[in-house]
Amino acid sequence: MDIIKEIYDAVMEGKVDDAASLVQQALNSKAEVNDILNKGLIAAMDVVGEKFGEGELFIPQVLWSAKAMQAGMDLLKPHFSSTNHTEKGTVVIGTAKGDIHDIGKNLVAIMLEGSGFKVADLGVDVTPERFVEKALEVKADVIAMSALLTTTMPSMGEVVSLIKAKKLPFKVIVGGAPVDQAFCQEIGADAYGMDAADGLRKVKGLLGR
Amino acid sequence: MNIKVSREDLLKQLGYKDPPQPRLLDMVLEMLGLLGGLVEPRLAFKEIQEENELPPFLSGAALKYAGAATLGPKLENKVKDLFEEGKAVEAYILDTAGSVAMTKAGNMLWDKIRQDAEAKGFKTGLRRTPGCRGINLETQKWIFEKLADRDLGIHLTSSCMMFPRKSLSFLARFGGKLKGTSSCKGCLQYSDCSLRL
Repeated sequence: MDIIKEIYDAVMEGKVDDAASLVQQALNSKAEVNDILNKGLIAAMDVVGEKFGEGELFIPQVLWSAKAMQAGMDLLKPHFSSTNHTEKGTVVIGTAKGDIHDIGKNLVAIMLEGSGFKVADLGVDVTPERFVEKALEVKADVIAMSALLTTTMPSMGEVVSLIKAKKLPFKVIVGGAPVDQAFCQEIGADAYGMDAADGLRKVKGLLGR
Repeated sequence: MNIKVSREDLLKQLGYKDPPQPRLLDMVLEMLGLLGGLVEPRLAFKEIQEENELPPFLSGAALKYAGAATLGPKLENKVKDLFEEGKAVEAYILDTAGSVAMTKAGNMLWDKIRQDAEAKGFKTGLRRTPGCRGINLETQKWIFEKLADRDLGIHLTSSCMMFPRKSLSFLARFGGKLKGTSSCKGCLQYSDCSLRL
């Protein structure tokens, strides 16, 4: 079987060790780095995200696939400079001020990392000022925020206001159980992620990746 | 107090209706094995006497309670450790198992309150959690003031979140008339609630 197809299958099935050893084999056999990345790792992760969105796959399988992709990416990274590949982007992520529930945020961070984004995870209960400060520090492309409760949602709007007031270039994506598209529009955020896979898709969309 | 989470309960909460692949099933069983040693449930309730500053949900009730339950801090510390060790699948499954256990602890608390109410001649009651339909999240402070003399080990943050996170609180009422519906239909997550489907 074509080694790129084998890499694709390993990521689809969330086989972390297989994905790593197959990527290494592909590199040893001088396969194109861009093919390994785009036709193997990324193509598989895209399908995993679609299947999750359609209810065919569930979070544990998605996480395994993300981990398999990450294992492959780690081996590919040293080769990126000699190809046309560039980093997908940098995302600052955290839960809204006052919110301490981080499982969903952790899942999004893992999926972003697995898909080749650089992630600066600020953890929980993050003030609007801290989001912006970190985004400036790491030259972020996107600020991603989650909230579990309606009472902590308003601070997401404060982040958007800060960005607009300072005319900063960061895109903002919001998510979490009580958040929806209407709230996203109300506060002027750029995107709403319904779940982890949708969040990943929207971040890619925001950056035209 | 013993809280048991079955494999079926956990798989349902994770989204699986059919048996998953064997390695996932193995991991589910492994996490369920861990769960027992990580859960330290505590629960308490108190009957509330008539007073001027009652939360609106309790107004007009003949019998009123405040209650809270927690699984303790061990479980979420382990979940955090697993995430930090790069074991996200294990962390997620264990956290989900904790959520199922928390629901069961809440039901145990509710059973105890109902038994107490039944002994006082009331059979039908309602419970509702701060942050849900018509109960301001700030009501958490009122509840935990009422339960201050109970050794629950729950700490409230300034934004009224509970630590340990696997904790819950609610108000309960029996007798009297309550405006509004008690069904799931008023809930924002009605259409995609995994507990209802």
